Amino acid sequence: MAADTRFVAPTTLPEALSALRADGALAVGGGTAVGLLLGQSLIEPRVLVWLGRIPALREIAAEDASLRVGAAVTVRELSRHPAVRSSLSALAASAAMAGNPRIRSVATVGGALAHADPRQDLPPALVALGAVVEITGPDRRRTLPVDGLATGVMQTVLQPGELITAVRIPLVPGRRSVYLRFTPGSTADYPTVAAAASACRDARGKLLSVTLSLGAAGPTVLAVPEAAGLAGQLSPSAAAVAAVADAAARRARPVSTRLGSAAYVRAMAAVWARRALAACLAYGPAGRTS
Amino acid sequence: MPVAARFRLNGEPTQVEVPATASLLDVIRGLGLTGTKAGCRIGVCGVCSVLVNGLPVSSCLYLAHCADGADIWTAEGIARDNPEVVEAFVRYEGMQCGICTPGQVVTALAARAELGPAPGEAQLREYLIGNLCRCTGYATIIEAARAACDGR
Repeated sequence: MAADTRFVAPTTLPEALSALRADGALAVGGGTAVGLLLGQSLIEPRVLVWLGRIPALREIAAEDASLRVGAAVTVRELSRHPAVRSSLSALAASAAMAGNPRIRSVATVGGALAHADPRQDLPPALVALGAVVEITGPDRRRTLPVDGLATGVMQTVLQPGELITAVRIPLVPGRRSVYLRFTPGSTADYPTVAAAASACRDARGKLLSVTLSLGAAGPTVLAVPEAAGLAGQLSPSAAAVAAVADAAARRARPVSTRLGSAAYVRAMAAVWARRALAACLAYGPAGRTS
Repeated sequence: MPVAARFRLNGEPTQVEVPATASLLDVIRGLGLTGTKAGCRIGVCGVCSVLVNGLPVSSCLYLAHCADGADIWTAEGIARDNPEVVEAFVRYEGMQCGICTPGQVVTALAARAELGPAPGEAQLREYLIGNLCRCTGYATIIEAARAACDGR
């Protein structure tokens, strides 16, 4: 690796954006993914721009019926935040399961999104919850659904000089959400497949919206729009739920790895999608947000 | 180009000049503190566990310069200032070959700080996930970590 790599630790967002304009600049959240890629000689950054000293990126705040999570918030901090635990169950679960305690101490929300490894835990939960990512560039700020960030394995729509500054998750009263991951080997391993789902009901119990997403089942996190078809009902039939799970499996684009053959991942995608939906839909029209 | 990083290491003010891409693991070992082991180097095995500002981290995936200004503890410092944690591993035979033990000790101290005495079984096991041992089968490690939490 280049011996002339520089390390800078800006304390404001403008300073960080300025540093990121340099040729070969790479934003560093906690440095776990960067450390992995450096260790494998897969990247040769010229400037490492560490975001850990920028207070504005370390905040979690409720605003406009959504929760805004700064990019440099750690996975551990996210998993322990009261609003996340009370209102965003799928996100709390994914943050509590990601990696292991040592990774969660360090890894950041923005880093998890920018790294765009489809086996990561946070993105499926964020997609199921309808989160949007806030991207700040040299000249403008833009937002896009988390669903639209990754374009392939470890590839995103981020342009040079752009930085993920926050993710915003809608806080929807009465919404239930779950995140499930299937790790047939070690609990701390990457999942063979993961599924996140959410369901929102009106006061009479009718489903207003249902979402589903898969992790580790393709080159990016996969949204399953067929889940929306369950809305409008009080209690979808098992067959209707299974049909959505099967649609999820058809959307999967797995490859064979040590975590399972492609055929196995696809089969498990249907199973875990169905379980995630069932767990969400089993609840009645209780008023508590989840 | 090497840049200076300053931190407290086992309570001692420390300054190193290391490349921007240096891992905290290599810096610590380079200072002669070889209790922190180099294992998988991908954040999975736990033998490189250290405390940074009280939280357990994999030093293999932690850039040394991110530790500038931090308070870092390794197994050596814990053995010196919290010998009861190490003694718990000896008493419960929470080791066999010993390679993973420094990391287990670091994590046990972090568990004690966070969970306190009489930790829940699930909480304690959750805390120790990711400190792999290929010898003991974990039962004695968990007993040792429980004793460390209890201050026994």
